[in-house]
Amino acid sequence: MPPNVVVDWLYVGVFAIVGTIMAALPLAVVWLLAPRADLPQKTLTYESGVIPFGQAWAQFNVRYYLFALIFVVFDVEVIYLYPWAVVFRRLSAFAFVEMLIFVLILLVGLAYAWRKGALEWV
Amino acid sequence: MSASDLWSIVPELWLAGLAIFLLLVDLLTARKSLVGVVAVMGLLLSIIPIGSLLTQGARTVIFGSYAVDGFAVFFKILTVIATALVVLAAIDWLPGRSQYEGEFYALLVFTALGLVLMAASTDIILLALSIEFVSLTSYVLAGYLKGDVKSNEAGVKYFLYGAAASAVMLFGFSILYGLTGSTNLYEIARRVANAPLPALYLSIALMLSGFGFKISMVPFHQWTPDVYEGAPTPVAAYLSVASKAAGFAALVRMLMVVVDPGRLNWILLIAVLSAVSMTLGNLLALPQRNIKRMLAYSSISHAGFLLIGVAAFRGDFGTPGLLIYLLGYMFTQLGAFFVAALIGQQLGTDDIPDYAGLSRRAPVSALLMAVFMLSLTGFPPTSVFIGKFYVLAGAIDNGLLWLAIVGVVNSVISLYYYAGVIRAMYVMPAASTVPLREPAALQVALGIAGLGTLLIGLYPQPIIDLARSAVLLLRI
Amino acid sequence: MELVVFGLASAGALAGGIGVIASRPPVRSALSLLLVLGSLAIMYLLLAAQFIAALQVIIYAGAIVVLFLFVIMLLHMRSGEGRVEKLRWQGPVSYVLAGLFLAALLYAIWTGAGPHMAEPAPGFGTAESVGRSLFTKFLLPFEVASIVLLVGIIAAVVVGRPLAPP
Repeated sequence: MPPNVVVDWLYVGVFAIVGTIMAALPLAVVWLLAPRADLPQKTLTYESGVIPFGQAWAQFNVRYYLFALIFVVFDVEVIYLYPWAVVFRRLSAFAFVEMLIFVLILLVGLAYAWRKGALEWV
Repeated sequence: MSASDLWSIVPELWLAGLAIFLLLVDLLTARKSLVGVVAVMGLLLSIIPIGSLLTQGARTVIFGSYAVDGFAVFFKILTVIATALVVLAAIDWLPGRSQYEGEFYALLVFTALGLVLMAASTDIILLALSIEFVSLTSYVLAGYLKGDVKSNEAGVKYFLYGAAASAVMLFGFSILYGLTGSTNLYEIARRVANAPLPALYLSIALMLSGFGFKISMVPFHQWTPDVYEGAPTPVAAYLSVASKAAGFAALVRMLMVVVDPGRLNWILLIAVLSAVSMTLGNLLALPQRNIKRMLAYSSISHAGFLLIGVAAFRGDFGTPGLLIYLLGYMFTQLGAFFVAALIGQQLGTDDIPDYAGLSRRAPVSALLMAVFMLSLTGFPPTSVFIGKFYVLAGAIDNGLLWLAIVGVVNSVISLYYYAGVIRAMYVMPAASTVPLREPAALQVALGIAGLGTLLIGLYPQPIIDLARSAVLLLRI
Repeated sequence: MELVVFGLASAGALAGGIGVIASRPPVRSALSLLLVLGSLAIMYLLLAAQFIAALQVIIYAGAIVVLFLFVIMLLHMRSGEGRVEKLRWQGPVSYVLAGLFLAALLYAIWTGAGPHMAEPAPGFGTAESVGRSLFTKFLLPFEVASIVLLVGIIAAVVVGRPLAPP
């Protein structure tokens, strides 16, 4: 790998490390300096003064997961659009048609998911 | 990419278009069996472009990633016929069992597209992608009946096992790429002569685990009984025939094109695995009570038998025998599963003792089932007999006499559990004599399967010629 | 310089990998997976495959780990106590077999690495070369991928939608 590319990515690496330190530093400072009181009441969830009862975990509805799944599929479609966008001027007109077919097939998928009610949030 | 390239992939374009059209039909109509009827018509129409490919020469298209040769066309025809028969059977079997009926037919046609791609890929990326494609649709189809615990179990087990097998296989592909720097099978074949042997062994072993999973070869067979028992019966039929056939096509292409048997003796490896599969499948099928489990273990044993054809690839009998066997096996196995689907639907049971007295209650189906059971054993004049004959002849020609003896012994052992079904149907007294209702589409599918089984057995010459010409064009 | 970065990335990947298998709370497994994927992205950068590294972070770490966390949230209520393991000999046998596999892999690498390895093409892994090969050499896999994605949506709807209430 040519050395100037290494230096460029080193900047990214330093950025990542400094970002992580900036996020962790306040927590570390609090842990070191703040007074501690280990009372059991401190672990209770805050509910505007009312003592909470019952379990906090409600049954998670599966339609939220469906949303995430369909998001992943369209995320991958966008991923395919990126390299096409970089080179499509240099390719033949047929490449445009191919990408169009790609997007159209996924449009059919979107129509199918829409009609089957997978995109209902409530 | 030229226009003639586009012309060569018309069957695949047709299947893709048909599947998407089925989705749109499903969105627009409430009569879901219409989707099934459209599917069958579309599949039968696709035989026209597939047949036109037979007259063209063997070549690879689309920058060398896809092969158009007689071998691929054979598997296209096999897949399309199998899919059409399964859709036909499902039109009568599926209504009322699931709220997603139209998608079932669309998913079957998508699977057919994936299988056709699998059988003809000459690029390991396209091969891996199409194997994943088929696996994805198969997982969904196996777990289709969401209210049924066994179907859920089948889907989850198939998925876990299949995902692990695919991961291992992709590792093998990546090692092959690393050794040769190309993903095209023919390029790899040219460069693999310089590759060091241990890495090549490792790569072949890893790839065999993925292919072995698809064809239910021992020791990658553990998923088969549970998945066939739990999956909806038409789906089990489809898995046992179509994905096995495409798995064999991919395996044969990979082994014959890429690896030189002088350098790496894969023939012995395949022969040993074949013998073990046949024996283990047969022995485990003997005590089975559930007909779908029995057919699953018997399909493991048939996979072993088919592997003889893979190992005995030299000469005139081995690989054509493999193709004939696969075609004959398709008709027979589909027929047996369709009878199981009929009984499962009408009597609500999958246990062999409950088949008692079927000869009086549903005489046509019982007769066809008897034919299918005898065919699976290898009795003449049925299609599987011709297939076994050619495969065993190939084994003897290639000096694998011990393997042929193992095959014959296993065929004799298998007669016990196949005859058990016939005995239940014809000899045992019936619990009731109410005649069974035999739905129309299922009967048509059964009839075609029976016809195929007997026709190939009685008049095999056209199929033999087709298989022989298909194999000649495998190596470009 | 590259060796140091490679060493750190591989240590991260190994630690994450062991963390995925060995940690008891499932959320910790998912976060170890995140560590593995991040280390892999750094290794792709070492190969000058910037586009693939970005894809690794966007798709894997950004969407798929989110899916894992969704599933863990979905199944949290149902995670009862661990069931008694009936085939206890499988654990030690799996360690032995994994060790054999590792030995075979190391042997294959030791004899195979060097002059027999293939060289990556120039511009390997950049957006431009991926785009070019997607529309020439890998055109059919590209279109098949779109159909696989469509089937993924159908599968999600068929498997995921709850049964209609009676």
